[in-house]
Amino acid sequence: MDFIKESLKELCSLMTVSGFEKKSRTRLFEIARQYFDEASEDSFGNFIFVKKSLNNNAPRLMIDAHFDMVGMMVTDILEGGFLSVTNIGGLDARILPSAEVTVYGKREIYGLISSIPPHLSKSGKGNVPKIEELYIDTGYSKDELKELVPVGSPVVINGEYTELQNGFVAAASLDDKACVCAIFDAVRRMSAEELKYDIYATVSAQEETGKCGAALSACRIRPRMAIITDVNFGAIEGDKDYDSIVCGKGASVDISALTDRKLTRGVMRLLDKEGVPYQRICEPSYTYTNNDLVSVTGEGIPTVLMSIPLRSMHTPVETVCLKDIRSLADILIRVAYTEKTDLEAI
Amino acid sequence: MKELLKNLSEEFGPSGYEDRVRSMIREYIERDLPTNCEIAEDRVGNLYFHVINKDKPRLMINAHMDEVGFMVKGITEDGFLKFGCVGGMNPLVLGAKRVVSERGIKGIISAKPIHLLTNDEKKQPPKVDAMFIDIGATSKENAEKYADIGDYFVFDSEYVEYGDGFIKCKALDDRHGCAIMCKLIDTIKQGADTEYDLWFAFTCREEISYSSARCASEYVKPDYALVIESKAVQDIYGVDDEKKVCILGDGAIVSFMDNGTIYDKDTVNKLISICKKNNIPYQLNKYISGGNDSSAIQKSICGVRVGLISAPSRYIHSQANVVKYTDLEAMYEIALGLIKE
Repeated sequence: MDFIKESLKELCSLMTVSGFEKKSRTRLFEIARQYFDEASEDSFGNFIFVKKSLNNNAPRLMIDAHFDMVGMMVTDILEGGFLSVTNIGGLDARILPSAEVTVYGKREIYGLISSIPPHLSKSGKGNVPKIEELYIDTGYSKDELKELVPVGSPVVINGEYTELQNGFVAAASLDDKACVCAIFDAVRRMSAEELKYDIYATVSAQEETGKCGAALSACRIRPRMAIITDVNFGAIEGDKDYDSIVCGKGASVDISALTDRKLTRGVMRLLDKEGVPYQRICEPSYTYTNNDLVSVTGEGIPTVLMSIPLRSMHTPVETVCLKDIRSLADILIRVAYTEKTDLEAI
Repeated sequence: MKELLKNLSEEFGPSGYEDRVRSMIREYIERDLPTNCEIAEDRVGNLYFHVINKDKPRLMINAHMDEVGFMVKGITEDGFLKFGCVGGMNPLVLGAKRVVSERGIKGIISAKPIHLLTNDEKKQPPKVDAMFIDIGATSKENAEKYADIGDYFVFDSEYVEYGDGFIKCKALDDRHGCAIMCKLIDTIKQGADTEYDLWFAFTCREEISYSSARCASEYVKPDYALVIESKAVQDIYGVDDEKKVCILGDGAIVSFMDNGTIYDKDTVNKLISICKKNNIPYQLNKYISGGNDSSAIQKSICGVRVGLISAPSRYIHSQANVVKYTDLEAMYEIALGLIKE
């Protein structure tokens, strides 16, 4: 668990707002080089890391997690040292007022998201402010800001890694760095002799803004099969059992019309047979993950979707249980050690 | 004063649980106590520093120690903590914020994620009742090891200096007032004279009812009172000028009126003349809003002549109160001028 804790903490400290993943390329490569044989990237901002099996002609297994995170972008420099912004990815304006941010201008600048009390707000009393109405307070003058912050600069909502009870942690961008961490944990523990596949780990760009990144990598890799890993909603009070997975009870195998039915069943039977605990959740149609495009890339790729339960999604305090990251890594190892035909035959 | 301000603001002290702030201040003001000074605490938890000057008019300077916070009202079967607010807060500043309990247990304020909200819900401000504190508990029984009904939480927010001399922290309202009073006490210990029988009152529970300040006034029985406070201002982009109230960096606010008090005209004039005489930057409030301990003090005993100086503050009652340091320096100078008059 120490590996997961340390690695996750570092991954979450990397600035990866959608479209700006390359800012953290160097550090990601340094980390990944410890566990993989090859590393490559494309113009879109996708990173691909390869671990080879000792078996010659092993088929390719793509394991995907996205690197990007929700954030904001500066749209204008305003009087009094304020910045107007727009969202990158889905943000809830109802949690933004008084949040702390880092503006990635010519240098990193601290800022606060301003809030206007309801009785003074232009949206009126009792209404939720629009993101366009929430300005970033930088404490600088407009002239200073013009020098420091080009329009178009990305903004991160600060969410420092915080340990809660029972191995739970809160941080920004656990969606989907918890899964990147699980893949790294799995690959570093995989033995090349036992691997039935060459592992192509894709750390993908822009899942939050259109989900194109992973599909581009899939197109390049042409894998025999792909496992997409992402986070899914961790149960909170009032949720129905069948509509959510529970933090702390392991990763899930997700069942959807857009994943490969036989392969998904095969993975579940394998885990049952070997006594590996996992949760199940149904996403009957769209999964709203990289799966939906990867599964129909090229001539089509059989996919399995696995999730880590996460609470407070798309906030700077996304919460996961470290045990669930280890659980996903364990499941990935079992699958990587089993031939595809065996999986389908189980 | 910045180090003291940082230590005081980061300390845990919601209304009704000011104990740690009080101890920190007491320890600070007790050092090298001169023979003409004494320290006292009353029954409701107010702390006093008294500069004994018998037969002189009595002046009480007051700032409150408490901050807004949260109280655990119940624990769900899943181990989530349901809470109520201690003091007035806009639910819009609560979502996804870090909090920490009296026992040092860290948590976050959580609710349903945006993906699962209906379109109607997205347009409605969040409700406190729909939120909970997530401490990473796995069940009710597990949560009870870390929290109990009645436990207090406060925002978990660090002191940060940013931009051109701005300061952000939780609880700057009104720990900056406490810090200014500590600094004034230092100055008195270094030999500054005063024409008053002078009392510094560090009060409790301002965020709830101002009633502890009334108790302080009954305890001290002052002729005059000066309240040192935060004043919520909106000098931010998108607010019409007349609604900005005041501007950070333009100096201490001297108020003639707010929603709780019409201030004593002589005291207001005296404060303004001190500013003019000593070239201290000050501003008058341009929008009538808010209230503070002054209203309780003014109407206590048989009436007290009360004045107010405040720091223009952005985003009070959130995890990110903001003040400008030069305004605090101006407030210190005004209060010092008054003590010496």
